[in-house]
Amino acid sequence: MSFKYPVVMPKMSMTMETGELINFHVAVGDQVKSGDVLFEVMTDKIDMEVEAPADGVIESLVANPGDVVEIGKPVLIMLTETEVMAFDFGAEDEPVAAVEVITAPAPAITTPVAPVAPVAPVILNETVKAVPKARVEAANRGIDLRTVRATGPDRTITMADVNGAQLDPAIAKRQAANKALIAKGIEMTRGIAQASFTRSVNANFDHATFMAAWAKVLRNRPDLAAHEHIGVALIIESKYGSALPVFRDPDQLKIADLAALVASTTDAAKNGKVPVAMLSGATTTVFDLTTYSMSSATPFLFPNQVTSVTIGYESATTKIVSLTIDLNFCDFYDGALLLDALVASL
Amino acid sequence: MSDRMLTMAEAVREAMSIAFDERPEVFLLGEDVGIYGGAFGVSGDMYHRYGSERVLDTPIAELGIVGAAVGAALSGMRPIVEIQFSDFTAQAMDQIANQAAKIHFMLGGALHVPMVLRTPQGSGTGAAAQHSQNLEPWFASVPGLKVVVPSNPADAKGLLLSAIDDPNPAIFLEHKLLYKIPGRDPVPEGATRIPLGVSKVVREGKDLTIVATGIMVNKSWEVAEKLAADGITITLIDPRTISPLDMGPVFESVEKTGRLMVVQEGPAQAGFINEVIAQLAGSSSFGSLIAPIKRLAGMNIPIPYAPQLEKAAVPQFDDIEAAAREIVKNWR
Amino acid sequence: MGHPLSSPEHARHALLYMWRIRKFEEAVEDLFGRGMMHGTMHLSIGQEASPTGMCMAMTLQDQITSTHRGHGHCIAKGADLTRMIAELLGKKIGYCGGRGGSMHIADVETGNLGANGVVGGGIPIAAGAALASKMMKRGTVAVSFFGDGAMNEGAFHEAANLAAIWQLPMILFCENNKYGMSSSTEKAFAIDNLADRGKGYGIPGVNVDGNDVVAVYEAAQAAVDRAKAGDGPTLIIAETYRWKGHSRSDKNLYRTKEEIEVWRTKDPIPKFIARVIEEGILTQEQCDEIQNEAIEAIKAAVNEAVKAESAEPSGLLDAVFKAVSA
Repeated sequence: MSFKYPVVMPKMSMTMETGELINFHVAVGDQVKSGDVLFEVMTDKIDMEVEAPADGVIESLVANPGDVVEIGKPVLIMLTETEVMAFDFGAEDEPVAAVEVITAPAPAITTPVAPVAPVAPVILNETVKAVPKARVEAANRGIDLRTVRATGPDRTITMADVNGAQLDPAIAKRQAANKALIAKGIEMTRGIAQASFTRSVNANFDHATFMAAWAKVLRNRPDLAAHEHIGVALIIESKYGSALPVFRDPDQLKIADLAALVASTTDAAKNGKVPVAMLSGATTTVFDLTTYSMSSATPFLFPNQVTSVTIGYESATTKIVSLTIDLNFCDFYDGALLLDALVASL
Repeated sequence: MSDRMLTMAEAVREAMSIAFDERPEVFLLGEDVGIYGGAFGVSGDMYHRYGSERVLDTPIAELGIVGAAVGAALSGMRPIVEIQFSDFTAQAMDQIANQAAKIHFMLGGALHVPMVLRTPQGSGTGAAAQHSQNLEPWFASVPGLKVVVPSNPADAKGLLLSAIDDPNPAIFLEHKLLYKIPGRDPVPEGATRIPLGVSKVVREGKDLTIVATGIMVNKSWEVAEKLAADGITITLIDPRTISPLDMGPVFESVEKTGRLMVVQEGPAQAGFINEVIAQLAGSSSFGSLIAPIKRLAGMNIPIPYAPQLEKAAVPQFDDIEAAAREIVKNWR
Repeated sequence: MGHPLSSPEHARHALLYMWRIRKFEEAVEDLFGRGMMHGTMHLSIGQEASPTGMCMAMTLQDQITSTHRGHGHCIAKGADLTRMIAELLGKKIGYCGGRGGSMHIADVETGNLGANGVVGGGIPIAAGAALASKMMKRGTVAVSFFGDGAMNEGAFHEAANLAAIWQLPMILFCENNKYGMSSSTEKAFAIDNLADRGKGYGIPGVNVDGNDVVAVYEAAQAAVDRAKAGDGPTLIIAETYRWKGHSRSDKNLYRTKEEIEVWRTKDPIPKFIARVIEEGILTQEQCDEIQNEAIEAIKAAVNEAVKAESAEPSGLLDAVFKAVSA
């Protein structure tokens, strides 16, 4: 019995992918013995002789001297008396993955933001060296490190330097203005009869979910708002103090869209930029105390609002929701029902 | 004075004896560990108590001895192999790093190597360059080895018992200078284990976090005592197991103190303690630092012979004290 | 097992296993040449009689350590062919889960403590296994397979000495194929008779024709008997030859074509076939059928292994240590 056996370009080193056929040592019709040299090949590192795997006769030559042949592809065909261990999986072979050219992602370009108000603080350092915590603190408090005097070794700004640093007057001014605004608002409502209720809930909601749920509850109580829409103000801390962007009719947005809006507004607010359209129209206010790890705070109402809600920290898995109501519009029983409805829908 | 104030040699011997009694497959082999009682007196009278069947004196053949330990461990025994000076582990490195460390992984989990290699390390005895090295990074950098560095007798006992229990190869690095002195604490009676891979907060403070290994833990402790009198309080962390390394307490502490100093005996360059710095620098705790990270380590030289030179080659009490004071003073 | 000529079953076993090794190695050569195997391969074509003869003197519980050129040892000791090929192809069901490759195959069930990528690495390990056997009174032997190149490693010296002084039940089995990669034994040794080294340790050094499976078996059995009687180790030097280069990138610059030709005529397989036919133990038909059986076994193993799932990177970190039980 005769077996037809293609002698292929062999892989002869760990990195070889193709080889160049140099020349044949045999011709069609030649009888060969196991171990006889059939042809010579060259790769970038070595040139080798390819031997006959068994006794047989050369049936045909497939490639030509000078050809560059991929490993595993036939160079000549021989007929053998004994079966040669040969495994041609052809299409089943996993193709060698083309080397992918990976283009590096375009680096995010951050141009430093020039200070808005070119007022007073003198630039003391063009290049800044500061201990890591000082950088974090400065960013939180809106301090430009270039204006801070460095007293640490190697002219490095220390925590003490930042703690004693002058705030950028422009920022200090805005902070003062914010404080005054909020304080005044609460003073205005201090005399109003108020009551507060508290419930514990599972802590598996984010701002968007909470505001949408609260808005939905209020949707059923048009008597509790002077506007036709429901405007939920969310208190967000920024380096300028508290900001109160208003989200209109949050229960009518798709939750994913609302979440995206909350995220982008939160970012903007932290940098002191809230869209003008979101600065008015609040009918209720939400204050998330968990960002400060607090459980509860003095209840208050904002002017022209008859409800406000705080979210407080209770445990790793639960939070405390507290509702404050204006008793002129809402009696005790009502208030309890409202809180109940809110908690039930979370 | 309680009679449980054992030296490290006594504590290690006690741990080995407990392991011998608990499991018949535990045995000790090494040069001079039998009749002689061990070059540093650690095995002591074990030869007389357990016989030559379990305490094997070997010829001077580190590669062969460690290889035999690997083979015995693969076949159901739990060998403790003692290499007389950690410097001589170089002789046996193929069996330690290429065989023992890699067998479980390379063989797809089919076999494992429950072996402990105990060896004395460190300088201070005038033994000079080839008998004084601290080779923590050699072992810590090989995946597949557990590396333990006890700083005191009580820890040594509990850690060694855990290392013997562990189904993986463990390198147990004992400091020569600690063999003959008791620690600060009595060694507990009984067979209580201290788990591998758990760092210990030795003392707490608010001004500075010090992470140190081996003998430097004790020097740092003395510095902390002295500075406390001046109102400077230090958190001292002893990793005990340097691989796998438990960084949890370090992150927590740095977030409180804002200052980190690391102290090791071995040469600074590419030393083990750099791993602590690397992990801290890449973590979210980095933002809590109010001072640069300070590293105290040995000089990048072979250990010299003359005592004043030998001392100068590694961090001493004065070096640690000065560095601690400076970092707290200049970085507020 | 028993003497290869003691019965048709024994002769069959010897011939089948030599063919299994031969065809396995040829299959690996083919698969590697097609680019289906990563790394490199160290083939033992031409050396089949040595591991076959040695393993026929061993039980399943007896242990071996092997070398980088260890496929023959693993197969002779009873390894599963599919799992071996699967390992070379980087599959999950491979002996090492794809993590070890050709040089690290171990098989606990057949007493195989593992092939080794470090020359001489397995010799002290086998001594340790023999030590454990003696301490645990198991009555088994440990055989360390190694090549002529390993005899100049410190590990050989230290392990041989330990085995000798402690009278360990160990066999130091050297497959002397005359070359440690490219350095010939003439150049690497100042002595002509490698077995003389046994004297240096106080143990018997035995020369045997490594291409005669019967002679190998007889020397092996004698060494096993000696070890199990508690008389200590034996150094066996089996003279053999590898037809192929050291590894797949070997240009054979260090030896001549003529030398290779001469050794091909000493092929251990036809030699044994001639003998069993002459002594009337097996017929030519039976021998042909045994060859086919081996070919079919290899083909089946390859076909099954190729279809198996590839190993994945998830779980690599957890594979370094054996989990500590609570």
